[in-house]
Amino acid sequence: MSECGLLSERIPAVALGRAGWTAQERQHLDDCPACKQEWEIVRGAGLLGQDVEERLDLHAITVSLRQRLQSDRQVERLRRRTLTVGSLAAAAGIVIALWTGSLNAPSDSAPMTGSLAAGRLAIPLPELQSLESSELDSLLQTMDDPNAIRAAMEDPDLGDLSSEELESVLDSWEG
Amino acid sequence: MPGSTRPDSTTDSALVAAYRKGDERAAAELVQRHAKPLGRFLYSLGAQHEDLEDLIQETLFRAFRRVDGWRGRASFRSWLLTIGSNLLRDQVRKRKGKLVSIEDRDISGESDPHAELAAVEAQERVREGLARLPKLQREVFLLRAQEGTEYAEIAAVLGTTPGAARVHYHHAVKRLKELIG
Repeated sequence: MSECGLLSERIPAVALGRAGWTAQERQHLDDCPACKQEWEIVRGAGLLGQDVEERLDLHAITVSLRQRLQSDRQVERLRRRTLTVGSLAAAAGIVIALWTGSLNAPSDSAPMTGSLAAGRLAIPLPELQSLESSELDSLLQTMDDPNAIRAAMEDPDLGDLSSEELESVLDSWEG
Repeated sequence: MPGSTRPDSTTDSALVAAYRKGDERAAAELVQRHAKPLGRFLYSLGAQHEDLEDLIQETLFRAFRRVDGWRGRASFRSWLLTIGSNLLRDQVRKRKGKLVSIEDRDISGESDPHAELAAVEAQERVREGLARLPKLQREVFLLRAQEGTEYAEIAAVLGTTPGAARVHYHHAVKRLKELIG
């Protein structure tokens, strides 16, 4: 590297006061107009804006920055909370939809237990309230036995009835 | 945040780590250390006086918001200056304006007003010359001239190689010599 090149690499550090010239470098600087010009430019750039620095109100910047960061953190917390609640609500919606679907599904699935079964039994059926316990037992046995239902459906006695008579029977069942 | 009592020997890395754990005084200390050089750098890049505090604050805000993005490959200050430089570029693009104009400056009446005026004028010429350089050359030159940053660190922070950073610096010097005469 030429002497100008070597000096050029050292100019920023010397201009910032982090290093000093050797006697040889100083001599070169005095004799070389190009290096001298570079030195003036780099030194000038290093000093640029010093008056600006002095005018800055660091306290105001710090206080304002703190407020913005705190506010930003609050917004971020709120956003996360909203996201969490939204996700939970969506998950709950899916669970409810699946649950409702299972309640309405054909009853050949496994028998329900626990709260799901309790929820099903809690549905009010006023027409059952007038029945005796023996009648209820009989009805439950009929409901639990698909063959009994099929037998009732295929009751030959009902096949002899006219449509008016069938309606009359249905009306009596429905109260 | 104000009222920090940390010793100067605490490194920027330690302060950033403390801030990540929620220590706001660490952020205040980082502001104390770097806000002024950041302001000087932005002004040298061509920011207007009236925009300077907003730009500094926005730069610091963005830096602290994504402080996890600073991985310590370059110094915290170099990283901060680059964020500021990008913000300034965006601002100029939005305004589609020029970076710099010769402004009326307050010349404090000290020993030799003529010498001081000459120095201010020389600085303005440098500033105007800088405004005519490509962004990368301007940044590399100022990181070297104002911060004494080594080429390796400039390369790390600007996403280039040390060799390319060196070339940008020398191109900037050559162009400034031509512009300033």
